[in-house]
Amino acid sequence: MDGTMTTPRLADRRQVLMGAGLAAGAALLGAPRRARAADRTEISFASAKFFGKETIAQVVDAYNQAQGKVHVTYVELPPPSASTEVHQALVQQLARRSGTPDVFTQDVVWIAEFAGAGWALDLDQYFPAAMRGDYFPGLIAACTYQNKLTALPWFVDSGMLYYRTDLLGSAKPPETWADLVTAASGFQKDGKAKFGYLWQGKQAEVLVCDAVEVIASNGGAILGADGKSGTLDSDKAVEAIQFLYDTINKTKISPPDVLSWDEEPSRAPFTGGEAAFLRNWSYVYGIAQDPKGSSVVGKVGVAPLPHFPGGKSAACLGGYQYGVNAATKNREAAIDFLTWMSSPETQLHFARQLGIAPTRPAVFGDATLAKEQPFMVSLKDVFTGATPRPVTPKYAQVTLAIQSGVSKALVSGKVKEELADANSRIGTILGK
Amino acid sequence: MSARPTVLRRTMVGAGAWAILLWSAAPFVWQFSTSFQEDKALTADTPRLWPSPGTLDHYYNVFATKHFQLYVLNSIIVAGLTTLICLTIGALAAFSLSRLRIRQRFGILVAILAVSMFPQIALVGPLYLVASNLGLLDTYASLVITYVALGLPLVTWVLFGYFETLPRELDEAARMDGIGPIGLLLRIVLPLSAPALVTTGLLAFIAAWNEFMFALAFTSNIAHQTIPVGIANFTNLYYVPWGDIAAASVVVTVPLIVLVLVFQRHIIEGLTQGAVKE
Amino acid sequence: MSQAIPWLLLLPAAVSLGAVSLFPILNGLWLSLHNTSLVTQENDFVGLANYGTLLGDSQFWNAWRHTIFFTLVSGVLETLIGLGMALLLYERFTGRSAVRAAMLVPWAMPTVVTSKMFGWLFDGQHGVVNWVLLHLHLIQANVNWYGSVDHALETIIIADVWKTSPFMALLLLAGLQTVPASLLEAARMDGAKSWQTFLYIRLPLLWTTLLIAGLFRALDAFRVFDLVYVLTGGGPADSTETLSTLSYKTLFSTLQFGYGSTLSTAMFLTEAAIAAGFAMFIWRQLRHPA
Repeated sequence: MDGTMTTPRLADRRQVLMGAGLAAGAALLGAPRRARAADRTEISFASAKFFGKETIAQVVDAYNQAQGKVHVTYVELPPPSASTEVHQALVQQLARRSGTPDVFTQDVVWIAEFAGAGWALDLDQYFPAAMRGDYFPGLIAACTYQNKLTALPWFVDSGMLYYRTDLLGSAKPPETWADLVTAASGFQKDGKAKFGYLWQGKQAEVLVCDAVEVIASNGGAILGADGKSGTLDSDKAVEAIQFLYDTINKTKISPPDVLSWDEEPSRAPFTGGEAAFLRNWSYVYGIAQDPKGSSVVGKVGVAPLPHFPGGKSAACLGGYQYGVNAATKNREAAIDFLTWMSSPETQLHFARQLGIAPTRPAVFGDATLAKEQPFMVSLKDVFTGATPRPVTPKYAQVTLAIQSGVSKALVSGKVKEELADANSRIGTILGK
Repeated sequence: MSARPTVLRRTMVGAGAWAILLWSAAPFVWQFSTSFQEDKALTADTPRLWPSPGTLDHYYNVFATKHFQLYVLNSIIVAGLTTLICLTIGALAAFSLSRLRIRQRFGILVAILAVSMFPQIALVGPLYLVASNLGLLDTYASLVITYVALGLPLVTWVLFGYFETLPRELDEAARMDGIGPIGLLLRIVLPLSAPALVTTGLLAFIAAWNEFMFALAFTSNIAHQTIPVGIANFTNLYYVPWGDIAAASVVVTVPLIVLVLVFQRHIIEGLTQGAVKE
Repeated sequence: MSQAIPWLLLLPAAVSLGAVSLFPILNGLWLSLHNTSLVTQENDFVGLANYGTLLGDSQFWNAWRHTIFFTLVSGVLETLIGLGMALLLYERFTGRSAVRAAMLVPWAMPTVVTSKMFGWLFDGQHGVVNWVLLHLHLIQANVNWYGSVDHALETIIIADVWKTSPFMALLLLAGLQTVPASLLEAARMDGAKSWQTFLYIRLPLLWTTLLIAGLFRALDAFRVFDLVYVLTGGGPADSTETLSTLSYKTLFSTLQFGYGSTLSTAMFLTEAAIAAGFAMFIWRQLRHPA
């Protein structure tokens, strides 16, 4: 998409001063004033459409008025629920290597893909190690490809365990999957909950998230450390997926419908008061506390997901991050904008107005945030332990193979065979 | 109608009518009811048809918060223009193939059909690039041009089939009266084809009204986005505001039904019997 | 001048179709001979290698089988139900306009809404369909509609039949109106029963319309996308994967434009075969009307 690039007019100093004075005056009056092209570098910023109490366009406007060097044109892509379309739109533009958009936002799973294709600018020199320490280490790791930082963290989300505080009472939320099964079956037998544990098994991206969580919580992984082969058929992975299969067929704490459920259909019975445990993203909490949408207001608690014995709790990492176009003709302006967008103040603003969680641990300590979004603040520890999905430039193909393989395993119960089959497909994809 | 229909026939027709009514309208009635209910009613044990408690929140969200009326306006403009242009071009082409002697008409019809057989998702990418290069992104033009081309094969074929059923004596009579081919089309054939025109017009309109993929790809601003994109924009990241979406779909479907009621009463009825002088 | 008129009348259609539909097709055919992938930056000419891979790709044949099955079953159901609706709405009875308008509701509803709506209606735990069937004692327990490999494709067929029967009904109704009333009158005078009138007078005259409507419906059904993608995403276990969802994933998600174009071409060729079958019937019908 063409960011309107008007040729900067050569203005004389008087005009500039007058213009700046007018701009300052207008800003003081509170009237949003379209910045003049003269003397400002024009860059374009493309992002998926997020909204809350404010929109991204308003945040970008605030930047435009906060300084006079750069003018950012905001290009709105489809909302993140249509992420495939966002991906397509972004790639179409980046692949042309024309320099637009100068700055963009990317889903965390596209970072390796864009870096591998050479579309994202290396940010190492602009954000040295000291600055990187201000962010969650898991996020920085997800933003790094082949030891180069190609993305800057924006917001974070992860999977977590929701539980009914009224059912658990004073008991602590389960820490191992076995404990979860015991608790869940107990509630079902006592008739206190219709469903023990709800999760997402639909053949879609979210299935990979659920799979990553159980597998990583068993100490396994989907891709080998070199990123060139898969380890989906390892014993640890098989055991993890077998556990998921058993929740439907053996321990029966999950209804078979989870195989067609993604985020919303699995959330609805939980906020309807029918389930004891739910694995889902952070958005559920807000709905759970809304009396118009939930029957369990005040009865919901959140904890890190359980793990297998000997393993650690793993939460699947989600969220969009910033990137700079490798072909941008306005590096300084782009970095300036990026620094502002990723600053603690702006991250706090995003958290309060759009409800998306900051990626700087320090921001979680802010007093106003604690007052307005206490739930978000409580998630800090969950986010610290977030695990990325397989990092590879061919993630788009790998995820489809994982989805197909895991879904087949969950339907047929032939976990070892299906995972081995999917693993060999992954090997073919990565080997090419 | 000379003989009175038998009781059996009347009951069968009545039963059939009720069956169609229930089958077609039931899900919509459920939508209608959902649009007045709170979201948590969706997971209640017993689905309730009558909202209790009822709420107007969803309609408020749809209009005041999401400015749905802008999307509706855009859709009316785009679908309206598409229908008019598509009917015009299609009628011209169908008339030419049916009435005027073209030896290759079978080949041309097949070509028209063939061109429409390519999966539409494969068209989005290339057309997006073209629209981008021509500066047509975020305009009505890009959508109308695309939708006209997508609807043309069906319109042309159906009108062709319909024109073929009109007797050739009409052409003879016209020629003897000294009316040229254009006059034949405008003054005789088209007025007789009202049922087919209304039908294909309705189908073209609805197709443009509901089209999602190109609208999503070509537009990025509420100034030009159509209803399907508007509804897709209701969802932020994961949460699907089903009550709001139900309200929006009611807002969108009801005028369409009214449109149908108006058009068919004025045009279809009364034109069927004795339309062609024997 | 009069020689040019037929072609002049065809010109706008040619321009419109050529500009919008022809270019991407040629582009697609060209791409299908390359291994173009935006991500890996490859763009080499590989001749027919993609087609070779396609023939051996079990995912492709899986999707192809589902698509053919879906097209056949939903096509036949929609034609029969549409014909029934059209015949019924041809009759005069009080409230006919209301029923006609109600009939169009499924087709008029935005597709983005219909898919999600069926997701709710057929939800295994809270869907209205299960509730109604349970209370009518037609089923013993909740059916896992689109979460089970056995029922997912059926659910999609039901949803599509609901949505698209009005399309057929509308076209067939217009077709029914081309049957001259005088013929029907004469038949009734001669004592013919309704089904005889239908079989010997209306059906033969309706045949062309039926074939054309059937043709377009078959081609559209072959390309079904929204319902499948939103409802099941091709699952569970790839059991509802259709050629459109497969192409979408290949083109949009993995950005393999070369192989994706090969998929599109394969779809095109299959549709061409279907269309050729229909077209032959139609042409024969037009040459020698009953």
